[in-house]
Amino acid sequence: MRVLAIGVSNIRRMLRERSNVFFVFIFPIGIILLIGAQFGGGVDPAVGLFWADDGQIARNVVSEIEAIDGIEVFAYETEDDLLSAVELGNVQAGVFLPADMDQRARQGEVVKMGFVARPDGFGAQLQSIVGAAVADVMKPVGAAQFASAETEIPFEQTLAVATGIADNNNGIEVEVSALGEALFPDTLGQFDMGAAQQLVLFVFLTALAGSAALILTRQLGISQRMLSTPTSIGTIVVGESVGRFGVAMVQGLYIMVLTFLIFRVNWGDPIGALLILVTFSAVGAGAGILLGATFKNDQQASGIGVMLSIGLAALGGSMLPLELFGPTLRRVAHLTPHAWALDAFAELVRRGGTTVDILPELGVLSLYAAVLLILAGWRLRIAITRH
Amino acid sequence: MSAAAQIAVKDLKLRVRDRSAFIFGIVAPLVLAFVFNLVFGSVFDATTGLGLEYGMVDLDQSEISLVFGGVLEEVEADGILTIENYANEASAERAIEDDEIDAYYLIEDGFGEGVVTVGSPTIRVVGDIDAPTSTQIAASIAQQFSIGVEAAQLGIATTAIMTSSQITPQLVGSPSGDPSSAAFSYQLEDVSAATKQLDGTTYFSAAMAIFFLFFTVQFGVLGLLEEERDGTLARLRAAPIGRLSVVGGKAILAFLLGVISMTTLVVATSVPFLLNADWGAPFGVALLVVAGVLSAVGIMGLVASAAKTPEGAGNMGAIIAVVLGMLGGVFFPLGQGDDLLSKLTFLTPHAWFMRGLADLADAAPWTAALPATGALLIFAGITGSIGWVLLRRRLER
Repeated sequence: MRVLAIGVSNIRRMLRERSNVFFVFIFPIGIILLIGAQFGGGVDPAVGLFWADDGQIARNVVSEIEAIDGIEVFAYETEDDLLSAVELGNVQAGVFLPADMDQRARQGEVVKMGFVARPDGFGAQLQSIVGAAVADVMKPVGAAQFASAETEIPFEQTLAVATGIADNNNGIEVEVSALGEALFPDTLGQFDMGAAQQLVLFVFLTALAGSAALILTRQLGISQRMLSTPTSIGTIVVGESVGRFGVAMVQGLYIMVLTFLIFRVNWGDPIGALLILVTFSAVGAGAGILLGATFKNDQQASGIGVMLSIGLAALGGSMLPLELFGPTLRRVAHLTPHAWALDAFAELVRRGGTTVDILPELGVLSLYAAVLLILAGWRLRIAITRH
Repeated sequence: MSAAAQIAVKDLKLRVRDRSAFIFGIVAPLVLAFVFNLVFGSVFDATTGLGLEYGMVDLDQSEISLVFGGVLEEVEADGILTIENYANEASAERAIEDDEIDAYYLIEDGFGEGVVTVGSPTIRVVGDIDAPTSTQIAASIAQQFSIGVEAAQLGIATTAIMTSSQITPQLVGSPSGDPSSAAFSYQLEDVSAATKQLDGTTYFSAAMAIFFLFFTVQFGVLGLLEEERDGTLARLRAAPIGRLSVVGGKAILAFLLGVISMTTLVVATSVPFLLNADWGAPFGVALLVVAGVLSAVGIMGLVASAAKTPEGAGNMGAIIAVVLGMLGGVFFPLGQGDDLLSKLTFLTPHAWFMRGLADLADAAPWTAALPATGALLIFAGITGSIGWVLLRRRLER
């Protein structure tokens, strides 16, 4: 009962602080929204477009480029704007259509379009994609120029004929097919991957931020006062652990339920997802208490806490999917509990796994939790009695 | 020494003894820059491009399929992709499964025949399902080739219609011009561009430095509220010290902490073999650092002036620092093209600081940092003067 009272008062203290409410409840949802909006559909490379000619050929090129799948096209008002956007990386490449495009084509001259990309980007690759689109529009133009040169019939007439038969032409078919099983299946929702990543990031961040509260508890003499009541030190240690664990669980459940309701995030098998959250929250609680029991100064602890929680999250796959890590880095990543939790979520969400399938990950997380909580309990016992 | 300077020096000593400022100002940004560089370095480093690796299974070996192979080899010579020949489909498939190639071209027997007669010639592109972009690029190269062939065919067909003749081998052989010229009615010419973008290491070093700067500076600004809470402010006011000196002392301390932290980070991350960040022209960097620190002092001063307690100011400061940092793109670049997010980001000093450094990239002169420095000074001026007025008024109460 006392354990619970200490735990509940911990949660209450956390909720009273307005900034906690922001970081625990508002900020994570904002980030999930932001990341889902920015990267959810995969990152399509952006191509900027500038055209000064309103002729038919130029318009065809523009609409053909705009219709390319898998790139995002932005129109720019001036050449300088586009060039500077490319240089700053706002778009990966830019295409300039000349002012005299139609006129040159009519005169049988080569139409020169500009393509710009930074030397370090995907420029060459985008050039081939854009090139195919341009080639398609320019095909009848080239044929008409050839026919006009051969027959001395005006370009307008040959272009009309060439355009008319361009599509019936018996050309080379390019067929594309894919091999293998998709790492990130199409059924993966826009917010699905980001939500699990942010869940582990923020649960751990909040748990480590709790270390400062633990230090304040000691500084303000609350631990001492609790000790002077008929409360054993074991009860206090367990109570603090329950409190930290409770805060992590409250936040985790909140993120899961709200993202499910608002963004329809798929968390997979509910029992499995809950077990991941329980074990991971226990890991977070253990780490938070260990940090709080090790440091005496709450500002130092919160600095180290921010550093550890952001650093471990980055390393553990909360910012970039583990699947995109190299093999060595992926092994290093699995030193963090984050990587194990994210592996478990990936199994549930992407491969439709059940609790049985994630038993290995749950086992590792439980081991982490057990080791950290034992260490934390031992350190906290020393820290409280030393004062 | 003036009273303001004395207060600043006293506080600086206090902050050095309590190691929190050291953790926020130097340790955390340095460690995180290192971790981010480790995790994102390879992804961020676009010099490797997509690393397009393709295979070719040419079962046809006709004149036209060999021409296509030659086109691919030309593109390979430009360093855009690599192409490996495979004897059959099975070995190419294995190469995809072993992650050796992203996609392969399959040209079946009878392809060349199909191009010259009325067949249905097909180039198949088989790609790794997890490399959709590479597969698409492979397909677009094949498409460009096929369109080129079609353009030539179309040129001849149009000529035939115009002259009301049949397409016969004689006609194909008769034109004075080369039908394949129809494929070259346009050129997509390269326009050169400078790189006003930071490399991965410098990006993360600078991003973490400016992100934690706001926390570091806070240690200086919050001192005023702590003095108020602890009752030492009343004693300072009783002393023959101008009110300006008290606020000024805290501002000087915040500025000093910021500059010390940023300078240490710039130097430490530039060390070769460690992070080897390339910050650009030193004087330009110095301008950005000073203007960046001033903007942080201004914003955090404003936060402090609005808060009732040091804890409240600390918490509000943390929220503002994190939100501005996130919006300013310190964790990941925000916005694409000229969408709303890429405009909103410039409402933060973080984005201007990063922009200033990007302007310095590619060995630009120090003057390239001037626009961003100006923007940062505007942030500093506006927030700083409001904060200054509010804090002075608070002292008068």
